[in-house]
Amino acid sequence: MNTNLEISWKSLNKYNEELCGDKVEVIKCDDSEIVILSDGMGSGVKANILSTLTSKILGTMLKGGADISDCVETIAKTLPVCRIRQVAYSTFSILKISKDGKGYLVEYDNPGCVFIRDGEILNITYTFKEVAGKKIREYHFAVRPNDYMILFSDGVIHAGVGQKLKFGWGWPGVAEFIQGLAQNLISSSRLASLVCNACRNYYMNAPGDDTTVAVMKIINEKIINIFSGPPASYDDDEVLMTDFMSSPGKKIISGGTSANIASRILGKRIKASLEYSDPEIPPIASLFGMELVTEGVLTLNRCAKILKQYNAGDFTEGFYQKLDAQNGAAKLAKIIIEDCTHLNMFVGQAMNAAHQNEGLPFDLSIRMRLIDSIKLECEKMGKSVTIKYY
Amino acid sequence: MLVTICIGSSCHLKGSRDVITSFENLVTQHKIDNQVELTGSFCMGECAKGVCVKIDEELFSVTPSDADTFFETEILGRLS
Repeated sequence: MNTNLEISWKSLNKYNEELCGDKVEVIKCDDSEIVILSDGMGSGVKANILSTLTSKILGTMLKGGADISDCVETIAKTLPVCRIRQVAYSTFSILKISKDGKGYLVEYDNPGCVFIRDGEILNITYTFKEVAGKKIREYHFAVRPNDYMILFSDGVIHAGVGQKLKFGWGWPGVAEFIQGLAQNLISSSRLASLVCNACRNYYMNAPGDDTTVAVMKIINEKIINIFSGPPASYDDDEVLMTDFMSSPGKKIISGGTSANIASRILGKRIKASLEYSDPEIPPIASLFGMELVTEGVLTLNRCAKILKQYNAGDFTEGFYQKLDAQNGAAKLAKIIIEDCTHLNMFVGQAMNAAHQNEGLPFDLSIRMRLIDSIKLECEKMGKSVTIKYY
Repeated sequence: MLVTICIGSSCHLKGSRDVITSFENLVTQHKIDNQVELTGSFCMGECAKGVCVKIDEELFSVTPSDADTFFETEILGRLS
């Protein structure tokens, strides 16, 4: 059993603050993944330092196999004391999901994690434990595909306090909102985005506190295979196609010549569409057995841009509208972002002779750079990427 | 009659979308959609001749600005 985790988080800064006092840290270990959410006392620089120190120390120590008590003790001794409040303080929640499906959660002074399974809020039992003078909640559980675990800072439950919602949104309100969204099995980034937007609305665009939502979704392994670029030697067409077709998972082809090669070797016809949902992106085509067939470099270029935007943390509504668009690049980016844990690329290295004598507006032989760019962005998202060159 | 317009990278940059739009409008205008079928194709391998248009199996070179003239001459011309 190989549990895959899809993690997304989004923060709102307290009104007029440049830095967020909340911090989310994600650590990948050989046998597990750890997510830490920390809320530093106060706001601005001080809070940011406290939460950063807390999450980094916890992360590094846990990755090294340290005991939770040792971690907490270390933080207690390390955090700088605030001159005004005479306290060194930062909350933390630590969620560890092991590859074998075991879950472990420790919470100190953050709102409780919302667990959703099959569209229902799950009540997972916890025990109180005293560690280094701090009272923490400890949970042990097992995860299943499509489980959601949502951690958030108290800025979320206080959203709207004194204004739109007298006593703030409150944990039950937040949990119910999340439950409603989780019915549709949406991606973790969409969920994080929607919760954050709701907070922003309740705060009427002036958050009274740093507000952070971190969504972890257990997903099944999803392998995507992309073939782009004809092999340098015609003899390798068959080799590439054999490797490509025998790799498990969905198949995508990006490139006219590549599609022609596949069509020829598979003995199936390509049906190219004339539909330009976006004037800048050539239409897509269909080929039996392929999830998606797109044009090559122009599509890959736009796709790489979308992936970069996603990684830069653009979770706005406008971004998702772009992602849901019907053009080839958006379709490709959407599959990569929301439907892929492992990406295998089969890349031909032939120089396109037709592009050489063209005087075209830009250099079309940037396929290699685009492939590398896509690989980089995918790895930032925590996906595994392999590239085979032909 | 099968009219195929190339939508590959190079022809796209040379304006295949505009050629397609012109042809679609003219087919509707002349009410010949039961005689002329428009379809797309990925790169036909003749990028220097972009935008590549095939009438049945014959290859032509069309630009967005002469798409209308091409339609009158080669497509309407063949039908009459």
